[in-house]
Amino acid sequence: MKRLVEGHADLALVARCRANSPGAFEELYRAYAPRLFGLACRLVGRGDAEDLLQEIFLTAHRKLGLYKGEAALGTWLFRLATNQCLDHLRSQRARLMQLVDTLDEEPGAVGSSAGAILGVVDRLDLERGLAGLPAGCRTVFVLHDIEGCEHKEIGELLGISDGTSKSQLHKARMRLRQMLGRTDGRES
Amino acid sequence: MNTCQAIQPQLSSYVDGHLTAEERRALDAHLETCSGCRGVLRDLERLRAAARQLGPIAPPDHVWLEVAGQVRLDEPGAGGGGRASAPRTAVRQWIGLAAALVLVTIGAFFLRVSPPASPPGNVPARDAVQAIADDLMLANQHYERAIAELDALSKTNGGALDPAIADLLRKNIAAADQAIAESRSAVTQSPESGPARESLMEALRRKVDVLQATVTLMNDMRRGDQAGAAESAAAISKKG
Repeated sequence: MKRLVEGHADLALVARCRANSPGAFEELYRAYAPRLFGLACRLVGRGDAEDLLQEIFLTAHRKLGLYKGEAALGTWLFRLATNQCLDHLRSQRARLMQLVDTLDEEPGAVGSSAGAILGVVDRLDLERGLAGLPAGCRTVFVLHDIEGCEHKEIGELLGISDGTSKSQLHKARMRLRQMLGRTDGRES
Repeated sequence: MNTCQAIQPQLSSYVDGHLTAEERRALDAHLETCSGCRGVLRDLERLRAAARQLGPIAPPDHVWLEVAGQVRLDEPGAGGGGRASAPRTAVRQWIGLAAALVLVTIGAFFLRVSPPASPPGNVPARDAVQAIADDLMLANQHYERAIAELDALSKTNGGALDPAIADLLRKNIAAADQAIAESRSAVTQSPESGPARESLMEALRRKVDVLQATVTLMNDMRRGDQAGAAESAAAISKKG
């Protein structure tokens, strides 16, 4: 029932946007820009995220006619934004799959099996750590652990198997653990 | 490969609840006896919980201004020729901001006022003038915000938006506004006067010229073209 009401509201907002109703597209932008900007910042970096956010909303504006309400508007925009971020990564850093393959072969990526090395994980430290991850496993981490996507959906977005998605997620977490871990190795 | 190395890849799936009951039992049995793997598991749980706390990030205000300017150009009949801009990944954000400002301003001015010599017969000239004034007020608000953002961004980027240049921009806009106000007054007093309307249109065009020259100056500064910037600044001074 809730989805039905939200779906009606989504379609109504899209209809107002398509009719160039004053303030409608700004309403859509204000509602969804923060989530999509967060996604873009974490996937492509803050430096490119502003330009990319513009492109995402301009693309959305042009494609609103394709939105039929099958999924929530937020989901539709999220997929559109993710695809544009991935296109950007592919164009900027060769193909994502190559990055994934490279990471698979890196020695020592799994990290230490010593006891717990993390205390409270600071949000800013985590954001910085994310920026230091290779694009492939960072993308999987952002989509799974931050955005809450399932491995199946990630696999479809990235063109990889569920297993590879799980493997990349684990590697991303272990790398972050190493980056954020205390050097003295004390258990907290 | 020892047991710990063999089972570690499963720890993430354990945290996410993706193991079968059998896999989970086997892993639990190992964790009972291995403090190292218990530590790794605890870290993975902390990381996962911390990641879930990372929320949305509010984009800077100027992003919406740029989107709005481009959307306006994309609208049918806006005179922008459809989608006008290519991805601007190489363009500094404040250049885009200024360019969008000019585009919005041009759209606001010329869509509302042209053709100047023959306003619709059922629209009183006073209303037409008021409509122009409203657009001008809106454009001015955008312009002041743009200059403030340029100041902030130039400081952030370690560059310099010369205060003298900023003052010059404001001064020239003020001069253009004065010319517009005088022309508007003339049109209000003599709505049927063709020369008065032409004068108002000319004043509006001069203001747009100033804004366009400002964009040129900013591009020069971005490229580090000192000579070009000096030339553009001189041009702005003349336009004032």
